[in-house]
Amino acid sequence: MLLFSYLLLGGITTGALYALVAIGLVVVNKSTGIINFAQGELFMFCGFLAWMTHVQFGLAYPLAFIAATVGGFLLGIVTDRLAFRALAKTDIVGLVLATVGLAFVLRGTARMIWGGKGDYLSFPPITSPEPVMIGDIMVVPQQMAALAGAIAIMLVFAAFFRFTRIGKIMRATADNAKAATLVGISIQNVYTLAFGAGAAIAGAAAVLAAPLTLLYPDMGFSFFIKGFAAAVLGGLTSLSGAVVGGLLVGVIESMAGGYIDSSMMEVAPFLLIMLVLIICPTGLLSLHKTRDV
Amino acid sequence: MLDIQHLRVVYGITEVLRDVTFDVPQGSIVALLGGNGSGKTTMLNTLTGMVKPAAGSIRFEGIECAGLPAKGFVQRGIVQVPQGREVWPSMSVHENLELGAVTRKDWPGIRSDMEEMFEIFPKLKPHQRKRAGALSGGEQQMVAIGRALMARPKCLLMDEPSAGLAPAIVSDMVDTILALNRRGLTILLVEQNIGVAAAVAEYAHILQNGEIAFSGAAAGLVDNPAVLGAYLGR
Repeated sequence: MLLFSYLLLGGITTGALYALVAIGLVVVNKSTGIINFAQGELFMFCGFLAWMTHVQFGLAYPLAFIAATVGGFLLGIVTDRLAFRALAKTDIVGLVLATVGLAFVLRGTARMIWGGKGDYLSFPPITSPEPVMIGDIMVVPQQMAALAGAIAIMLVFAAFFRFTRIGKIMRATADNAKAATLVGISIQNVYTLAFGAGAAIAGAAAVLAAPLTLLYPDMGFSFFIKGFAAAVLGGLTSLSGAVVGGLLVGVIESMAGGYIDSSMMEVAPFLLIMLVLIICPTGLLSLHKTRDV
Repeated sequence: MLDIQHLRVVYGITEVLRDVTFDVPQGSIVALLGGNGSGKTTMLNTLTGMVKPAAGSIRFEGIECAGLPAKGFVQRGIVQVPQGREVWPSMSVHENLELGAVTRKDWPGIRSDMEEMFEIFPKLKPHQRKRAGALSGGEQQMVAIGRALMARPKCLLMDEPSAGLAPAIVSDMVDTILALNRRGLTILLVEQNIGVAAAVAEYAHILQNGEIAFSGAAAGLVDNPAVLGAYLGR
């Protein structure tokens, strides 16, 4: 029971972080039709921004959070203006390749700025690193803080899309871009916002993950691939699907590592994804959607 | 009110509209008829900034609009109700209507217009929290028209509003178009259904292969076998 609860809570926590990466991918994909292969590098870059703010400049953790999310948002907007808008008239392959190029640019830039400070940088914990026992369940406060933060960010994002005019504009564009244009919505501005929002959520995920992991310029790909897997599990266009997918990937990874072998941690989620996609090629939540219609 | 002069639209090497000239007088209903591929939808897309013309002029209330982005047309009062409704299916009826006013910022006016939409289309009121994609074709058409009206247009461009609707619903749609016109709205109606066009429009233009092939009173069209045979294939 002790091991199970530890693995379950650990899995849920990392799963919530994968879910945030997946939400960023889904927000961009829903609005623009592009898979942003630089999402992991945006996550990494924002993690370093948070590290610089908190560790180098000695500012408080909430300020590091703001620096990472606002920095991510601006980075998303700048890359859309510089890289993607110029390619707007090319086909989707060109745009996807641009995201791959952006990933390398971000990784190289991170190496140039932060690479000389050691291969792996640690981010100080924001709570006590000692686990505490609640009944038979072992709880790591740092994990709980990251989980609570991830849930709060998901709720803020859900509220943004449900209640704000900009969120509704983004949903409308994702639903039917032609109709959005006809009522006077500027699609290009929505695309810019989508890249900004996707990068901002990568930043938020990074600053929550930073105290649980080590920061290094190549860390982005691992988070991207798990986030991508979560997004695919959820159907690539469903925000709630991304959350379910992220939690599943995190929990399976944790359980496989704990009960089978640590080498299975990387493999097990993908075995599940293969199985899910064989049974349900459009993602886990598509069964529900089919019944809806 | 809407004055189109020598309009030319080209897709690649294909000339879709050739030297098209006609006008839509204020307060009138004008029908634009033609078979598939005649250029009707391209015409409406050009008149709402979705397609840029290669040449020609689109003057609305005396101001040149050719080349403006879609938002510019909406802000000047030209709004399209697209073919096939094109509602946002996963969003509620209320949200669909609300976003019709996306170019406006007069919040009290938007709220009162929203109430008015449910007076014009009372069938939508009980469904306002329902997903628009779950409504019937006729109800979705009401949402599409309501969404366009939320922009407070002066000229409404309707692309085949009767397409895909049951005959009884088409009759309701005709009543709606006439009621909107009585409220002072100028309407350019693109139709394949000549009966609908004849029932509501004062003037009609027939497009054939991207050119205006006939212009005249709409009422005479149904009784004009030469027009029907030559241009509509009947």
